[in-house]
Amino acid sequence: METRILGYKCRTCGHVHYPNKALCMKCGAGDFDTEPLPFNGTLLTYTELYNPPGDFDVVKLPLGIVELENGVRMMGQLEIDHPAIGMAVKGRVDVVRRTKYDKIKGMIFKAA
Amino acid sequence: MRDVYVLGIGITSFSRLEYPIVEIAAYSSVVALKDAGLNRVDHVFVANMGAARVNHQTALASALVDHLNLMPCGAETIENGPASGASAIKTGWMAVASGLHDTVMVTGVERMREVNNLEATDFVASLTHPYAEQIYGVTLPAMAGMFARLYMETYGVTSRHLAMVAIKNHDNAMLNRFAHLHEKISMEGILDSNDAMTNNPFVADPLRFYDLCPVSDGGATLILGTAEMAKKIGKPLIRLAGVGQATDTHCVHERANPTDLLAVRGAAGKAMEMAGVKPGEISVAELHDAFTILEIAESEEVGFFKKGEGHIALEEGYTELGGKLPINTSGGLKAKGHPVGATGVGQAHEIVTQLRGDAGERQVKNASKGLTVNFGGFGNNVVSLVFVRE
Repeated sequence: METRILGYKCRTCGHVHYPNKALCMKCGAGDFDTEPLPFNGTLLTYTELYNPPGDFDVVKLPLGIVELENGVRMMGQLEIDHPAIGMAVKGRVDVVRRTKYDKIKGMIFKAA
Repeated sequence: MRDVYVLGIGITSFSRLEYPIVEIAAYSSVVALKDAGLNRVDHVFVANMGAARVNHQTALASALVDHLNLMPCGAETIENGPASGASAIKTGWMAVASGLHDTVMVTGVERMREVNNLEATDFVASLTHPYAEQIYGVTLPAMAGMFARLYMETYGVTSRHLAMVAIKNHDNAMLNRFAHLHEKISMEGILDSNDAMTNNPFVADPLRFYDLCPVSDGGATLILGTAEMAKKIGKPLIRLAGVGQATDTHCVHERANPTDLLAVRGAAGKAMEMAGVKPGEISVAELHDAFTILEIAESEEVGFFKKGEGHIALEEGYTELGGKLPINTSGGLKAKGHPVGATGVGQAHEIVTQLRGDAGERQVKNASKGLTVNFGGFGNNVVSLVFVRE
């Protein structure tokens, strides 16, 4: 089964949150349904980090904030040679960080 | 509520300090006690972000009280990320204003150079959202890089403007013996020459090496007290006239407009309202320029300039020493240094120094009202202070 990242939709007002909250940002209600976040979106901004944390074995780490097609935004790693603000991107869920004990999964975006 | 005054100030050099963290805190505390002519206080607040993780020491306030032999006064350590310093001052203000205490010592301290730069950056990155940000390897410079790119795209700020902030603040730091970086830099050296990419490489594109503050150790102290105490001491009367604080979403991506720093706007607005001061009346300001872009953005959010026009004021020399509203006369975090827990107290130290007229070569003429902005997280918890000379 495909791994998905979940958004948290307020049962009262329908606002979708990422990450999750105990109380809705818009209406303050406390019950949510989960729904998979879409993979497609546009790149809102990005950086190429040349001194990533010590456990990353890369020279530069491209990171960005993406506005998904349902309007929810999230951060992710980029596998894009020449990123540009406003470009269409498509995400996948994959390993983004390896620790001593774990392989942590998150969103990685490529050019759509 | 009672009025609250600054009785004494003290600071260490911000640099690499090879002393136990409690001794760094004690140094600025002793300087401030001497400045105030006191040997007792009713209460001690210590601001610190990382001693538990970086220095393997908790309960710093208890250790400091012991080191200064101030027992049995009360003591607490306050942690609010990089805004811990101004948070502790705000708490000290509450303690005096409420009538609970007559004299309060607030000491901010950090010793980050005990670990290497990568570990220090990783420690600060622990303030980001654990699963929506931190897992990706995001650091504060990375957050600032993304913020800067969007800001530049939206408002026409260029790398040149960012470099102007760095050059200005390095120039100011040359006049401050407590500053971490005493290094004069030029547009030629960091941007225009063939060597610029070597001198000033990208760290978090579009931000380069000289757009970032150094990792510093340091301590700073403010002693707060009542009007009666302040008059007895006989120094210029400096009142902590306004304290303001505001929060914003943990994740930058959740903000309706990610280039807005609403917590800066809110905190500074409240502080100035309490003090009865308008942005145009401020004579000198210390803004939290951990990254050059933040000085520009904050100068707009506090109301000095319209949104998107901070870089134009910078270009016109409005914010340099001798300009109409000098910003970061101390050198700012950029060049004075950024020992995170001490930073907010260090900013207040500079403003009090300016308002007392003790700033020497970097003195702002007729400085009577000063503002600080201490920025926690990536703008998700901001504390602002207004000091007024009476």
